[in-house]
Amino acid sequence: MEDFLTLLLAGISVGAVYGLIAIGLNLTFWTTKTMNFGQGSVMMLCAMLTATMIARGWPQVLSILAALAVIVVLMVFTETYTVRPALKIEGSMGWAVSTLGVGIVLQGFASLWFGSQALAFPDIIFSAIDDVVVFGVHVSLQYIAVLILALALVVVFELLVRGTVWGRAMRAVSMDADLASVIGIPVRVVVLGSYIASGVLAGVSGILVAQIGGTVDPAFGFELVIFGFVAAVLGGMGSTTGALAGGIVAGVLQQMVGGYISSAAQHGMAFALLILILVVRPQGLFGQREIVKV
Amino acid sequence: MFVSRRRLLTATSALAAVASMGFPGRARAAGTIKIGFTTALTGPFNEFGEGYKRGIELAIEKINKAGGVLGKQIEIGMMLDDQLIPDRAVQNMRRVLDNKDIVGLFCPSGSGPTLAVVDMIAADGRPTMNPQAQTPTVIYPGGPGTKPRPNVYTFSIQNDIEANFLASILAKKFNRIGLLNESTGYGKTGGELIKAGIMRLKSDAVVTHESYNQKDQDMTAQLVRVQRARSEALMVVGLGADMAVIRKNMLRMNMTTPLYVSAGGFSPPYVEGVGDLAAGTMGSQFRKIAAKAPAPEVVEFLNAYKAKHGTDRLWGSDPQIPSPSMGGTVATGFDGMMVMADAWRRAGSTDPAATIKALDATKGFVGVNCTYEFTPDKHHAIEVGDLATYEYAKIDGRLMLVQTSL
Repeated sequence: MEDFLTLLLAGISVGAVYGLIAIGLNLTFWTTKTMNFGQGSVMMLCAMLTATMIARGWPQVLSILAALAVIVVLMVFTETYTVRPALKIEGSMGWAVSTLGVGIVLQGFASLWFGSQALAFPDIIFSAIDDVVVFGVHVSLQYIAVLILALALVVVFELLVRGTVWGRAMRAVSMDADLASVIGIPVRVVVLGSYIASGVLAGVSGILVAQIGGTVDPAFGFELVIFGFVAAVLGGMGSTTGALAGGIVAGVLQQMVGGYISSAAQHGMAFALLILILVVRPQGLFGQREIVKV
Repeated sequence: MFVSRRRLLTATSALAAVASMGFPGRARAAGTIKIGFTTALTGPFNEFGEGYKRGIELAIEKINKAGGVLGKQIEIGMMLDDQLIPDRAVQNMRRVLDNKDIVGLFCPSGSGPTLAVVDMIAADGRPTMNPQAQTPTVIYPGGPGTKPRPNVYTFSIQNDIEANFLASILAKKFNRIGLLNESTGYGKTGGELIKAGIMRLKSDAVVTHESYNQKDQDMTAQLVRVQRARSEALMVVGLGADMAVIRKNMLRMNMTTPLYVSAGGFSPPYVEGVGDLAAGTMGSQFRKIAAKAPAPEVVEFLNAYKAKHGTDRLWGSDPQIPSPSMGGTVATGFDGMMVMADAWRRAGSTDPAATIKALDATKGFVGVNCTYEFTPDKHHAIEVGDLATYEYAKIDGRLMLVQTSL
């Protein structure tokens, strides 16, 4: 029972982070049908900036906010100079290459600025040895904190999308950008906002995962984005609830397979799941089948 | 300032072209003896590549200061960065091998990249020193005890040697052992050899063997399996950055099992990643370099290192005694270069065949890590007696790596 609970909690916590990454990918997919393939580098940069500033004596909260501010600027650049020009060409997939390119350049700059070795990521609020005993099982407070924060972010995000003017504008753009523009919605600002929000979610995810691992290096984040992508497809592209559910399913399944079947099969599990869902239910768990009138 | 997109693209392309050229090393000088290599100069495991590069540089400075070899100065003719990525190591080594001015080669850091290039090196035939890859098949393609590749010599702790050392410690103390290794050539061979060693010494021992991928951020599943098997100790074969993740994960699960790590794990990123939580971690490393009363050749090497680099992250936290991981990160490169230069001197030439003949006759060459002796059938030098057990302990408020076997 203790093993099961440990694996379950670790799976849900890590899975919630996959969910956050998936929501970030969904956001830009809604507004522009594009995804930021450099999202892993955004996670890395945010975590590395945070670790560096805290190491230099900055207060933790200020360091996190400053790192997120850098990410906001970066996402403005990414959207303006790498995605928007590519979208001017009908049917172009140039955005995939250009966002990936931005990610690679960021990795290079991170190696240059911070060094290429792994940086220690400091304990924020709780350390690895802080735990609570629930039904005789030691439960890590770091895992609980990651889980609560990830869930809170998803709830806040969902409330913003459903309950605010900007959220409604974003949904309108996702349905028909041209029509949204005609009725006066500033499509360009909405698209830019989606990239900024996507970057902020990636940045927060980076900080949460670095907290679990304890180190961060310039190559950090790449694999996590793949798991985030799996979560997004599993949950159904465009669905926030689906992204979170997809992330948690992928995270828990990984841990359970690793813990009860084989640790070597743990990583392949997410991809097996991806193939299965694409074959059985391509629209994902919570997605809706797209019907196109021809 | 307005920068046109075309100009920005041109600048980016130029930057990419320059970046793809790697690190071309120093400018060539006429009449020098040139060596070449690819290694992890950057990336999360760069303590190995940067370390052995520094070792080679220190050796070259020492040799050149004493007049060089065969009346010539030695220089690094080509030095490329592979970040411990096998594919990149192959591309880089191809470029190095295409440079016919280079007469001496060094293998990349790590078993993965080295296994990826070693057949090219063997086919090429130029004498090659292997400073860090631990997998025995790098040197002995048929396994330990078989015929070595004629032109490749190792200065690292071979997995089979380290496995014998660690297996004897673990089998003596524990009946149920958890074994976790990274899924690379180094990790897999290391794990399998340790398991075989334990079973040879204690046939009724219960070994729970698990693996992980380099740079995994969560090891809960593997540790749960080890815990469920009621293992009395955990042995990990991996590198420092991953070791930090494992240690934190253990503490998060309130897992107090004694932790043993391979030599690769006793590297700077481990302590940088976990800080004082490293206390109590035990494992194997080079014996000679961190001895309380070091030999004169070790003192000379350490003084040269301190004069050039200070007591930096590769040195460790104690300004007096270096971290024994320096034996693997820096000294293997130093010893490799010194032994190669000695062979050129004895051969009276840098001709590959003559150099290999001289290398095969190396006897009693006193290095930083051990006394080197090679024969046509034996291309490794480090033996069990050249290793010691170490433990991280907090002394006077500082985390130190203390030699526990004397």
